[in-house]
Amino acid sequence: MNKLFLILFFALLSADFNTNSKQFIARQGQVSFFSYTSVENIEAKNNQVLSILDLSKNEIAISMLMRAFVFKKSLMHEHFNESYIESDIYPKATFEGRILDFDNSLSLPQTKIIRGKLTIHGITKETDIKATIEHQNGKYLISGNFNIIVNDFEIKIPPVLASNIAKSISINYRFEYDRYEE
Amino acid sequence: MKNKFKKTFLLLFLVSAINSMSSQDLLKKLDKEFTDVPQYVLATFKTTRISIGQSVETRAKGTIEIAAINRFWNIPNTNTQTFLADKVNSRFSLEYAFTNRLTVGFGVSTFDGLQDGFLKYKFVRQGLDSKKSPVSITLYQNISYGNGSAEGAIYPASVSSNVTAYTTQILIAKKFNSKFSAQLSPTIVHRNFTVWPSDPKNQFAVGLGFRHKISGHTSVVSEYYYVANPLKSIDTYNALSIGLNWEVSDLMLQFNITNARNVVESAFITNTRNNFNFHDGNFHFGFSATLILHTRKNKLN
Repeated sequence: MNKLFLILFFALLSADFNTNSKQFIARQGQVSFFSYTSVENIEAKNNQVLSILDLSKNEIAISMLMRAFVFKKSLMHEHFNESYIESDIYPKATFEGRILDFDNSLSLPQTKIIRGKLTIHGITKETDIKATIEHQNGKYLISGNFNIIVNDFEIKIPPVLASNIAKSISINYRFEYDRYEE
Repeated sequence: MKNKFKKTFLLLFLVSAINSMSSQDLLKKLDKEFTDVPQYVLATFKTTRISIGQSVETRAKGTIEIAAINRFWNIPNTNTQTFLADKVNSRFSLEYAFTNRLTVGFGVSTFDGLQDGFLKYKFVRQGLDSKKSPVSITLYQNISYGNGSAEGAIYPASVSSNVTAYTTQILIAKKFNSKFSAQLSPTIVHRNFTVWPSDPKNQFAVGLGFRHKISGHTSVVSEYYYVANPLKSIDTYNALSIGLNWEVSDLMLQFNITNARNVVESAFITNTRNNFNFHDGNFHFGFSATLILHTRKNKLN
């Protein structure tokens, strides 16, 4: 009986250890977006984006607070949260996906597709994101850029301001992952 | 033998249960990682005036607001050929936000000749969670100086009525949800001197204001000011306004219908001489445009 508990105990330990050793976290991920039009350029950056990378399944999750985006003009921050993204109803934007054909034993930079679900403004879209993945000194670095269409996420732009905001917004991201310890 | 099999089964079951527990949803794991930075409600009213009166809002540090607040009305029983409206009162003002909480401004009104300056300080911000304050509180102090000879003064021109009036307001507002905000504004208007001895030197009033957001950029607003001890020498009425606010990028447009002819608080709260109805002379159409300029840009490192 005692022996059995001992086995159980070790099984528990190994189970926990197994998953955690393959999980990596980025606590200060950077996501910025740009809207270029002839009338006005809008730029915002969020330096507190969270992401977790699970190498046992090559899965990745990203979560950010929309309020944490910093704009050059404070009024834009207010408009963004209050009139466009409605951050009191939809406070977060998230992404859940899987890195396709990823070999995590290689340390060379690899360019891969991350396929998953992107949720902004309460709307979820299947999205493929191109990413560059590097592995150095036990850390992983994932970065890249992609575009989203404002219309896809039911973000309303009044006709008067249609020329101020681009229909396609370009997004840059950069995450540095450290080993995850609970 | 059978017993041992049972135990092994139990063991396997437990291990698998623990394994599935640790590979829980990655997003849920991230939810626990968000740091607890205090968060405050954004845009209770969006504009620094609800409709005719002040709101709890103050602008971010380094912001300049340039505003033109206008009221248009007709003279009763006349057959004039004036374009649009017979009379107009405009207040032009400049405001500057020294910090996120402190705004200083001054303005000049054309019709009643009032010059006014004010200090506005937001000292309590409504928090997003229940541990923080449930309301926002802003202190507003206005000093206005009236020129007795101006056309809009409430007393006849023969009476010297250069009066300095001090208006103190404690603005208490709550954003109930993303669409609805309300404000309660206890007010004291003090004058060192009154033209008629029977008029009170201190007048007490309370304002009620509401905002209902109807789309991303527009909201319906309403305001009412009740005066507890009105002037005795002349008949005055409580000010009421129903309006629409529209935010177009850096420009805030406000439209309203009201009985308040004056724009400065000391004047419209205590000296409104018309009741709210649609007759010429009583019906006022209000239109204000506020331009917001940033002298300080946030760094995006």
